[in-house]
Amino acid sequence: MRTRFMLLLFVLLIASCFAVPLRLSSEVGIHTDAWKTRMEGFTKETGIEVDIQQFPYANYLDQLMLGYTSGRVEIDVPYISMLWYPALSIANYIYPISDIPGYEKINEADIPGIRNAKLNGKTYIVPYMNELGGIIYRKDLFEDPVEKANFLNKYGYELLPPQTLEQYRDVAEFFNRPPDLYGVTMMGRRSIFLATHFMQRLWAKGGALLDMNMRPIFNSEAGVEALEEVKYMFQFANPAAMNYDFQEALNEFISGRSAMAEVWTTGMFYVEDESRSSIVGKAGFVGFPRPEEKLGEKLPMLYISWGFSVSSSAPDKEAALEWLLYVTETKNEVEAAPTGNIPARFSALNSPELAESFPWIGDFASAMENCIPTPIVPLIPEGGSIVSGIIAPAVSEFLAGTKTAEKALDDAVKEVDRLMRDGGYY
Amino acid sequence: MILFKAGSKGPAFLAMGDRMKSKQKTKGFAYILPALVFIVVIFMIPLTYTVVMSFLRWNLLRPDLGIKPAGFTNYVRLFTDSFTLDTVGRTFYFVVGAVLVELIIGLCIALALDTEFKGWKIVQSILLVPFMIAPVVVGYVWRFVLNSDYGPIIHLMKQIGFGGLVDKPLLSNPSAAMPVLIVADAWEYIPFVTLVLLAGLKSVPYEPYEAAFVDGASSIQRFFYITLPLLRPSILVAVVIRTLTSLRVFDIVFIMTGGGPGTATETLAFYGYRTAFQAYNVGFSSAINMLTFGIAVVFTILYMKIIGGGKNYD
Repeated sequence: MRTRFMLLLFVLLIASCFAVPLRLSSEVGIHTDAWKTRMEGFTKETGIEVDIQQFPYANYLDQLMLGYTSGRVEIDVPYISMLWYPALSIANYIYPISDIPGYEKINEADIPGIRNAKLNGKTYIVPYMNELGGIIYRKDLFEDPVEKANFLNKYGYELLPPQTLEQYRDVAEFFNRPPDLYGVTMMGRRSIFLATHFMQRLWAKGGALLDMNMRPIFNSEAGVEALEEVKYMFQFANPAAMNYDFQEALNEFISGRSAMAEVWTTGMFYVEDESRSSIVGKAGFVGFPRPEEKLGEKLPMLYISWGFSVSSSAPDKEAALEWLLYVTETKNEVEAAPTGNIPARFSALNSPELAESFPWIGDFASAMENCIPTPIVPLIPEGGSIVSGIIAPAVSEFLAGTKTAEKALDDAVKEVDRLMRDGGYY
Repeated sequence: MILFKAGSKGPAFLAMGDRMKSKQKTKGFAYILPALVFIVVIFMIPLTYTVVMSFLRWNLLRPDLGIKPAGFTNYVRLFTDSFTLDTVGRTFYFVVGAVLVELIIGLCIALALDTEFKGWKIVQSILLVPFMIAPVVVGYVWRFVLNSDYGPIIHLMKQIGFGGLVDKPLLSNPSAAMPVLIVADAWEYIPFVTLVLLAGLKSVPYEPYEAAFVDGASSIQRFFYITLPLLRPSILVAVVIRTLTSLRVFDIVFIMTGGGPGTATETLAFYGYRTAFQAYNVGFSSAINMLTFGIAVVFTILYMKIIGGGKNYD
């Protein structure tokens, strides 16, 4: 009897070892909700069980870092922001996915921005959600014949979604009719969101954050102009926008109180959400404008992406790859998108089914094709510190009037320089 | 209790007394042992760990650089960096402002409530509401209240002709943001200070007032020469607790201003958070926390000397 019992226990133990599901992790968010709809189908198709742990965005990275640092992480496939993978890969917490046999089936050529997922020629993250920083605008206002006539009369050219920075300024000024309608919604709270306003303009004007030797160069003439341009645009925004973050900015736009919002593509999902938006079906998306002389050039544009990586400690990396191949398959990306995701594959973005659900997706795809998708922070472990911890306060100081543009940027450059020296870059 | 054998001699009795004392000491130690273990585990171990980390060069984002001894590098940076010194200044501004406002208003309310009246308990319960709300929620409430579009306070100020003061949203105005944070913090903690002081007022004996009344002391004299001195222990408790908690202020800063505009509301705790969870610089962040701890200790000792060092009226 005792021997039988021991045998049964042994069998159960062995069985439990084999039945360990693939452990996924993610933040709580709409694109996660989208791929979660694929989990059941994956298990049916492959027989591999999947399990998910979700954390609030605010402490997801902390949880991952602390788990990996302490060696107690129980996650095989972390779904992470593209900004996090440099730190995780340098520490060998995540595994080069391109080293897993069968990876070539991913078809990298179909994924814009994939070059950002590579370190030393190896791919560490497969993008699932892609979006660009740009402008979401009120199509109904832009197509209104009276507005068009008035605009033509005042500025001498046709009212269209802004392609150049000059047009962007004119359109914002034209629609600025406070307190009922503001020209543009921006995000002035000291945060990474505020830094994006500066960075978009810096890139549009041909500037950069770091040079090839990782030295900070954003206190250039382009940088000063970019910063001044940010301040200039705030005069066409609601004064309250000086303390807006992403959500507050979106709330203003979807309640119909501004003609444009300088956010990123995800904003369109909120626009189309009937439960909270008063402008459903009335908005469009356009990539971030550039100076007139740079029209037609492929310029860096703010790029945000989340994707799947594989923990170095994952016991079954082939199973992890199976999941990646399944969930990023064009058909699955298209089917999951309406839950709240902008697919990462061109083949999905250009699919007719998706164009039917999201009429704006074509404009997004074309913006994506005509820019250099550039991550919101430099893809080095210190990237987040540079943008959130140094550039955002510098922009905020300038807007608050406590420093001039030159002084704010010079001080920020000194801080970045120290950070990079501490990090052993030079 | 003293026990001894009948007819026992001096030295034997003394020896027995010593044994008793030693036994009692052991027993006493056994009683406090759980508390001691608790203090060591909860307080001393993390503190020691933080001290050790503050002498390390350790960045969680750069495990490739390893964990290296940093000597006093983190502290040298802490005390030579003008940003840190400015942050200490802003933290003092917040602590002194918040504690002063809370103490003065809390004392006034406590004095007003120091008489039993109908509905006293209801008033007391209502008074406690802000204190029961989580600081994060307080931050959001105040952010809403001060919204320049639909915030009731801004609307009211515009209605009564003070619109000029709020032309620029308060939380985006570098000179107004910190006072606004102080107001929000005071709103939350005045009830706490009031309750502590009210408890103190209830324990003040009536006799000194009777004597002062007979001597013809005015109400102001009675307040300054009887109430305030007798209330000193309660004031000390309220001020020490509030100083220590104000030094750690984080939630309302994070929610209401994110440390901005510029660096106008960046306090030590927020700076420590930013260093720990944005830059993942564990070593320098620990040094910032040790500085905060040191300031808290200095504040506490000062208060004990200033407020607690007077005559004992008990």
